[in-house]
Amino acid sequence: MTHTMLYRLQKLTFRYGEQFELDIPSLMMEKGGSFGFAGPNGSGKTTLLKILALLEKGYEGCLLFNGRDAQGLGDTVRTKVTYLLQDPYLLKRSVFENVAWGLKVRGERHGLRHRVNEALQWVGLDPKIYASRRWNEVSGGEAKRVALASRLVLRPQVLILDEPTANVDRKSALRIRNAIERIREEDGVTLVIASHDEVWLHDISGLVLRVSGGRIVGEGTDNIIHGPWISDVSDLSKKKLPDGQWIYGACAPHVHSVAVLKPSSIIISKKPPSEISAQNILSGVVAHMWEDSASEKVRVEIDISGTTFNCLITHYAAEDLKLLPGKKVWVVFKASSLLWQQ
Amino acid sequence: MGYITDGILKAFQLLVTGDPETYSAVFTTLKTTSLSITASLIIGIPAGFFLGYREFRGKRQVRTFVDTLLALPTVVVGLFVYAFISRRGPLGSLGLLFTIPGIAVAQTVLVTPIVVSLTATAIEGLDERMRVTLITLGADRFRIALASLREARYAVLTAAVTAYGRAISEVGVSMMIGGNIKWHTRTITTAIALETGKGDFSVGIALGVVLLLLAFVVNWGLIVLKKRV
Repeated sequence: MTHTMLYRLQKLTFRYGEQFELDIPSLMMEKGGSFGFAGPNGSGKTTLLKILALLEKGYEGCLLFNGRDAQGLGDTVRTKVTYLLQDPYLLKRSVFENVAWGLKVRGERHGLRHRVNEALQWVGLDPKIYASRRWNEVSGGEAKRVALASRLVLRPQVLILDEPTANVDRKSALRIRNAIERIREEDGVTLVIASHDEVWLHDISGLVLRVSGGRIVGEGTDNIIHGPWISDVSDLSKKKLPDGQWIYGACAPHVHSVAVLKPSSIIISKKPPSEISAQNILSGVVAHMWEDSASEKVRVEIDISGTTFNCLITHYAAEDLKLLPGKKVWVVFKASSLLWQQ
Repeated sequence: MGYITDGILKAFQLLVTGDPETYSAVFTTLKTTSLSITASLIIGIPAGFFLGYREFRGKRQVRTFVDTLLALPTVVVGLFVYAFISRRGPLGSLGLLFTIPGIAVAQTVLVTPIVVSLTATAIEGLDERMRVTLITLGADRFRIALASLREARYAVLTAAVTAYGRAISEVGVSMMIGGNIKWHTRTITTAIALETGKGDFSVGIALGVVLLLLAFVVNWGLIVLKKRV
């Protein structure tokens, strides 16, 4: 029996001491899919990735991998799933030995040198220069590329990447992105990526899930707004931004509730609007813009006092407003547009 | 001060002319320490690896015991080993007392805790990311254990050198178990103690210079080895 569903999570919870808890009531991920996880640091992305990489088994609930309970899977399944740590570790050996190690473990010694050199080229490292270098003779960005090459060479079924482009220079980030896109196109590998690089994450992922406080709180480019919320008059709750601006929502259920704001609920204005019913009128600066191929609209990221708001507008609106990165704009939305997560 | 300068000059003279008595002590030292360090590595590395790698009940107590043994005075080791290998002792029939193998046994008892403790510390200090990396590259438990030992190899080499330094520099064990018998069990350190007692500083200084040279060669060898492995 073949399963098109690679992962199936049901009522999965994971406790990390008393402080942190991961709670996924239900999540399904099909084979060959590409899944992105976005969210702030400490939101539970890495823990979720480790569980999906079958490295962390101290959870409660059900995780099915290829239709089988992941708790009972042996070591052999690990050869199908590989995971790149956010801060990768290179073995204290040469670059060549680092990339070749996984193949040797599998007993795949045929064409070893060719395969290792090929993988190094994928990540933009010339084997003639880098293969013989020791682990401590490469830069941080190069080390991450070596670590990625050591995963790609295995031709895994599932490639799980934790912040693959974080803390590396632009050249390394570009090489890493190219290598990941290449293996996805060539092998149809199932990709699971956690990244703060949202533009790329939306570009490469079929589905982006937003994680916050150990829960999946939204999809795609949904804006996630965290508390603490203060009760205000007229059944409103408000949250103060670092620059003194306030975000208003309709009566927050809890002081630390998480609110979701759909990008399509946001209106962008060139001037501060007046005499409108919307409670939220916030000034910010356009940070990024890109075309959203799925909706055929324009995604606009606006930085408001250090918080990024994703907006979705039409091409016509983008041209009419003459939006460009760096331009000051006003963001408008109703208090009732904030949808509270339980 | 003149006798010290004379001693250093005579030291080089003894070494260059190949003085048989001096070289006898040097070779005896090399024999005893080679035997003891080999035995201590064979016993200590697997034991240290187990202690650092595995979790078991009473691990902390075992660790405390091993760490306490690091402070063992050489004369106490000499006393215990003497009691075991003297004619009246349980291992008396082996005839180890006043022999090179006898000294090697006692030195092994002395330095094995160093190898065990430093190896365990090295294994415990391995980066958790290494284990995750090995697993995600497809390693089974045996491969993870082997690779962990290899990752800790520099620290294990340092443990071996520290143990060698302890073995080559100790005097209590060699004196008590070896008996400081000329041409037979006299080591560099026991010879230095004897010659100094006799007031013959030159031979003592000569042997001291050899001891330092040996220490230098071992450490230099370690530096070369670190670049290669």
